[in-house]
Amino acid sequence: MASTPSSSSSPSPSQPKARKKPGQTTSPPPPPQTKWRTGTQERLYSRRLVDALQATRDRAQPPESVGSRAVKEAADSALAMTARGQSRWSRAILFNRNSCRKRVLVKAGGKIRRNRRKHQAIPPATEEAGTTSGVLKERKVKERLKKLGRIVPGCKKLPAATLLEEAADYVAALEMQVRTMRALAEALSAAAVSVPEEEEMEIAEQGS
Amino acid sequence: MERDLFSQMDTDLNSISYLSLNYDHQPVLDHFDSAISSMVSSPSTAPPPPGHTNSLVIRELIGRLGTICNNNNNNKSLAAGGDHSTNTSCYSTPLSSPPKSSLHSLPSMNPNSMPFPPDQGFTERAARMSCFGSGPHMAVSGQLSRVSSSQSLMDAGMTGGAQLEGELTMQESGGGANNGRKRKAGVKGKGKEASLASSGTANSKMSEEDPSAKRCKPDCKLGGKKGGVEENNSNSSENNNDDRENKNENDSNNTDSKPAEPLKDYIHVRARRGQATDSHSLAERVRREKISERMKLLQDLVPGCNKVTGKAVMLDEIINYVQSLQRQVEFLSMKLATVDAPEDCNMDNLLRKDMHQACDRSMQQEVYPSAFPYPNQPQAGPLNSLLTANSISNIGMQPASNLPFDGFGNTSAQIGGFWEDDLQSVVQMGFVQNQEGALSSQSFQGSGPSSSDMKIEL
Repeated sequence: MASTPSSSSSPSPSQPKARKKPGQTTSPPPPPQTKWRTGTQERLYSRRLVDALQATRDRAQPPESVGSRAVKEAADSALAMTARGQSRWSRAILFNRNSCRKRVLVKAGGKIRRNRRKHQAIPPATEEAGTTSGVLKERKVKERLKKLGRIVPGCKKLPAATLLEEAADYVAALEMQVRTMRALAEALSAAAVSVPEEEEMEIAEQGS
Repeated sequence: MERDLFSQMDTDLNSISYLSLNYDHQPVLDHFDSAISSMVSSPSTAPPPPGHTNSLVIRELIGRLGTICNNNNNNKSLAAGGDHSTNTSCYSTPLSSPPKSSLHSLPSMNPNSMPFPPDQGFTERAARMSCFGSGPHMAVSGQLSRVSSSQSLMDAGMTGGAQLEGELTMQESGGGANNGRKRKAGVKGKGKEASLASSGTANSKMSEEDPSAKRCKPDCKLGGKKGGVEENNSNSSENNNDDRENKNENDSNNTDSKPAEPLKDYIHVRARRGQATDSHSLAERVRREKISERMKLLQDLVPGCNKVTGKAVMLDEIINYVQSLQRQVEFLSMKLATVDAPEDCNMDNLLRKDMHQACDRSMQQEVYPSAFPYPNQPQAGPLNSLLTANSISNIGMQPASNLPFDGFGNTSAQIGGFWEDDLQSVVQMGFVQNQEGALSSQSFQGSGPSSSDMKIEL
């Protein structure tokens, strides 16, 4: 990997400080925008992404085209690396790459059952306890927090505050990822377009 | 041994400072003299080498000096004009010259002769000790190794005192809290980077007020006059109070005040009027405030959440946004997987061009104008196939995505509205070119302000 982590990436991680001793001020997390929207992160990530893509292309059998899932995984891993493991989701992504498949295969049946139970459990709960509006709202909020926890990698059983922190960081990182990948895709497509054009032009010139 | 001394000095600092604030200076001086006598006697009993003796003495005296010179106006008599001029310089330049110049004048002036060894780092250390309380014990201990010479104790004492006092008056006028207590809290808060804003605003608020009323005012704002009563609490509690004060000041805007402050060891929060004060509800309130802080952060991050109020709806929006971002990543990864093939060698160049928007190479310069202004050209083969594949997959996603995107349609920067329209057009019309336009617009226009340069309509 050519990238050297010399970026002035954001102020120190907030997660270790989040579990602070009682009585101290709650530290609002460093705004993820400042962290993820700096140009340095984008450059870092783009380099990592390129390297990862090349690696996947090399790894994938040459005659076949690269699978999109592999590309996505490579992109996510690159993103997690750029986050330097400071956030839970990045660590979860990096660690799950290695052993995820095995776990899924082993627990496939278990997972399915778990999901069914959850989905069945939720509606009756809301119906029963729907007397006070406040209680209902709380349940809604909790539901959504859980859903958010499922979406953000590695944040299934987190308290609300940490979960929201992680979500903010994840959103900012995803935005950066989308931007970078889009730019890369555009550049590549433009290059792909221009090369055949140039070839056509050359052919035309030669012909004429 | 050192730590015992430090702890002793710390407690002495507390007691002395509080005493001196409210009462005559005389008892302080008496205390000080007694301390000095005790210290002077102690080295004689202990048989360490002279350097160590002096260091021990110095450490003790630093602490006491600091507190006394904080509060004693008597020392003003000692501070000759030259000393004031040296106050600012004593921390930037080595302290050798200024103290020594005033040293010789001082002993004659001051009846309260104190047996201190002057030293370069002495006054600096003393000032720091006074200002920061128990904080920089490590700094003091680190610097004590510099103690080398020992002149008459009295001289060093007075210079240290004068400079301390000058520095402290500067501090007080500049907005630091008395005795550096609240300044310490502020410093701690700043050190925590997170409460930067809160402590900064709190400190600025305090700086605007009169120094005399400073101590009372934050208390008054929140809970009525307390005078020096609360200050007699332990250090930690007061720091917590200050932190909590800052937090509550910022959060509540000093709206409500309650006359009695609930004193707790665990969390020191100033209760607002009409709200429960037991520890459970306080802790819950803290937790709720934490959560609301982070929700605000998320609100800023997710576009279109400003109008939405309420946790549930906002969480909904956030979930949808995250899901849409993830889908975009999938889409782009699919695109990347199919588009790239022969252009490996040019990747770095392309990246540099994109990220820095600087065209170094001629080839990039050729590519650049063609890529970025909106060319409406039929695309190469792989792109077409890619787009058709994407359109199919997006159609599959459409029914799931229709509902959540209702909220997005308002602002032009939203992804959802475009997705709706474009996906419908994709379904209905089914032309390749329309698909291309739809997909490109949906993918390129949702990213936000920073990528506005990168928009392309295929």
